[in-house]
Amino acid sequence: MNLMQTPVSDTTALKPRITASGVQVYYDTNHALKDVSVNILDRTTTAFIGPSGCGKSTFLRCLNRMNDTVASARVEGKILLDGQDIYDKRVDPVQLRARIGMVFQKPNPFPKSIYDNVAYGPRIHGLARNKAELDEIVETSLRRAALWNEVKDRLSAPGTGLSGGQQQRLCIARAVATGPEVLLMDEPCSALDPIATAQVEALIDELREQYSVVIVTHSMQQAARVSQKTAFFHLGNLVEYGDTQQIFTNPQDPRTESYITGRIG
Amino acid sequence: MTEISQQAEPPVKSLFESDLRTRRRNAAETRFRLYGMAAVAMGIFALIFLLVSVLGNGVSSFRQTSIELQVTLDEAVLDKTGSRDPEVMKKVTTIGYGKILDQALADTLAAHDIDVSALTPKQLSGMKSDEAPRRLRDLVLADPSLVGQTITFHALATSRIDGFEKGRVTMESAKLDSNISVEQLEVAQAMKDKGLLSMPFNWGFFTSADASELRPEAAGVGVAMLGSLYMMLIVLVLSLPIGVAASIYLEELAPQNRWTDIIEVNIANLAAVPAIVYGILALALFINFLGLPQSAPMVGGLVLTLMTLPTIIIATRAALKAVPPSIRDAALGVGASRMQTIFHHVLPLAMPGILTGTILGLARALGESAPLLLIGMVAFVKDYPSAPPAGLMEPASALPVQVYQWTQRADPAFVERASGAIIVLLVFLVAMNATAILLRRRFERRW
Ligand SMILES: Nc1ncnc2c1ncn2[C@@H]1O[C@H](COP(=O)(O)OP(=O)(O)O)[C@@H](O)[C@H]1O
Ligand SMILES: [Mg+2]
Repeated sequence: MNLMQTPVSDTTALKPRITASGVQVYYDTNHALKDVSVNILDRTTTAFIGPSGCGKSTFLRCLNRMNDTVASARVEGKILLDGQDIYDKRVDPVQLRARIGMVFQKPNPFPKSIYDNVAYGPRIHGLARNKAELDEIVETSLRRAALWNEVKDRLSAPGTGLSGGQQQRLCIARAVATGPEVLLMDEPCSALDPIATAQVEALIDELREQYSVVIVTHSMQQAARVSQKTAFFHLGNLVEYGDTQQIFTNPQDPRTESYITGRIG
Repeated sequence: MTEISQQAEPPVKSLFESDLRTRRRNAAETRFRLYGMAAVAMGIFALIFLLVSVLGNGVSSFRQTSIELQVTLDEAVLDKTGSRDPEVMKKVTTIGYGKILDQALADTLAAHDIDVSALTPKQLSGMKSDEAPRRLRDLVLADPSLVGQTITFHALATSRIDGFEKGRVTMESAKLDSNISVEQLEVAQAMKDKGLLSMPFNWGFFTSADASELRPEAAGVGVAMLGSLYMMLIVLVLSLPIGVAASIYLEELAPQNRWTDIIEVNIANLAAVPAIVYGILALALFINFLGLPQSAPMVGGLVLTLMTLPTIIIATRAALKAVPPSIRDAALGVGASRMQTIFHHVLPLAMPGILTGTILGLARALGESAPLLLIGMVAFVKDYPSAPPAGLMEPASALPVQVYQWTQRADPAFVERASGAIIVLLVFLVAMNATAILLRRRFERRW
């Protein structure tokens, strides 16, 4: 295992985009997330790792209020985006989700054309004043998702007809098209083959230059490859959070150590 | 290595002989296949029996015997003033036209050397249908210039002569029948030999209203078809939007709690409530309480809407449930509102399922008779209702009720009519179900 590939970068100078403090999540009586506090830094890739069911997705979905759609979910605590509480009564989650994009575990393109998939977000948010601008947004988004060259000749073909890796990159393009400030990715590579995974990872590295990226992953190698910060979750607790290099080489908590050496999980 | 190979080898099992367990399993499979085939065969047999009996009885209603007559439209009788004004000519009733037809019948028979001396004038006149003068009158009023001319007119024959042509009436049955005599049939036979009887396609069956007990040859399903059409329009216009809106609310927006559970159970129950109960409800609510007219397509449409709603709601909810949640996540994830998610993504994907459910619900409503009987749709309706919306409040009939009414009548000629109406109804039902299947095929889910 070569965990030493992490690009060494100094994250101390970056300011936090998202500040979570004392976040608790309940599904009915199931206390799924216990007192999580963490800062998500600007222009940084943060990896969430931990065994299945430890609450990684739950926390991720708190960050763009996707948990609102789960009837049984109850969120407590404070999550600030640029200092503003996203759970404030005045916040419209619809508006929030345009600023905090999300990519899901299973590629889920709309059963529409490739073009319409990418153009949907800009259309409903009125980001383009005319067709030319919309074309422009679609093209740049697809380029940033490293998909443009593969699909530029068949933009009107259905997005569901692409391969799994292409579909996931289409979903990334779709998320990027609304111009989000934070991009949340929930195990984006779990359905992909190694080549597609490598493409998505390269993409994440590129996106990090402008956005703050949060990625949930099951693969520790992936966390080591793409992230600068890593958070380790266990049984609903945030056990340890720190520089990726430090987490993988010198974990402070015995549970983290057991997990990364393969003894739990 | 050597040690192992020296151990006693297990006996070689033949791949070509099956053991007892395998044979038993194969026998069970064969038995099950036979049960299945027997069940399918029974179903097909029942269907074929139904089709053969309905078609056998009913196809003949699509052709109707008529007598070819040379009719002299006498101006002195039909248009005394010579004005050729339909308003004035309307004063001449069907009795006047009947006399002209009687004369034409006598003349035509004489011209073909057919001996009618055995018939009384009443019997001779009774060879043609009472409907024939009315059709002649309609023809002349539509084109007054015909007056004064001699035209070839195909006069509807009475139902007994029609039955004679179709093999339903024989000389033996005529002896016992007060409506026809052997002498009349003999004349009919002579007319047939001279080529005066013909059996053209019976357009009247599709355009006419119901006719009285005495004139089965004139009865048609026109008013019933129109009434059924009006009711289907009402059902479609009301139940589709209401059903879809209710389903969207229940499936996508309502909190999942005890109340929605109760509502869900009750909708399922409503779908199972016998149709006649809806009829009683409609009688009490729409007619007794709200005072809407009996026999009106409006009331029929409303009660069928109530009956169809649960079916549509159940189908729509199933279609909405079948849309994968990942599509909703995707839309919400790019910042679509709940309404946008539903109307841009979920509903289009659910549409084929919704339409299929709606068409099947409509098909069920089209074939329903029990609730319509209770709201007075059994009335004898002779006139077409006018165009909607006014026509929705005027009395009309409905296809299944028309079938029911005709099967109640004593005259065997109505059995043929009833079967003919069943064929019309079945054609509509098959067309609707085929549309549903086509829709499902065409928009097979692609995600
Ligand atoms: N929609 C939900 N309804 C109820 N319980 C849920 C739901 N989603 C997750 N949970 C529960 O919350 C806990 C954390 O789940 P999750 O965040 O999906 O874990 P992870 O993504 O780390 O595998 C699990 O115990 C899971 O059963
Ligand atoms: Mg997860």
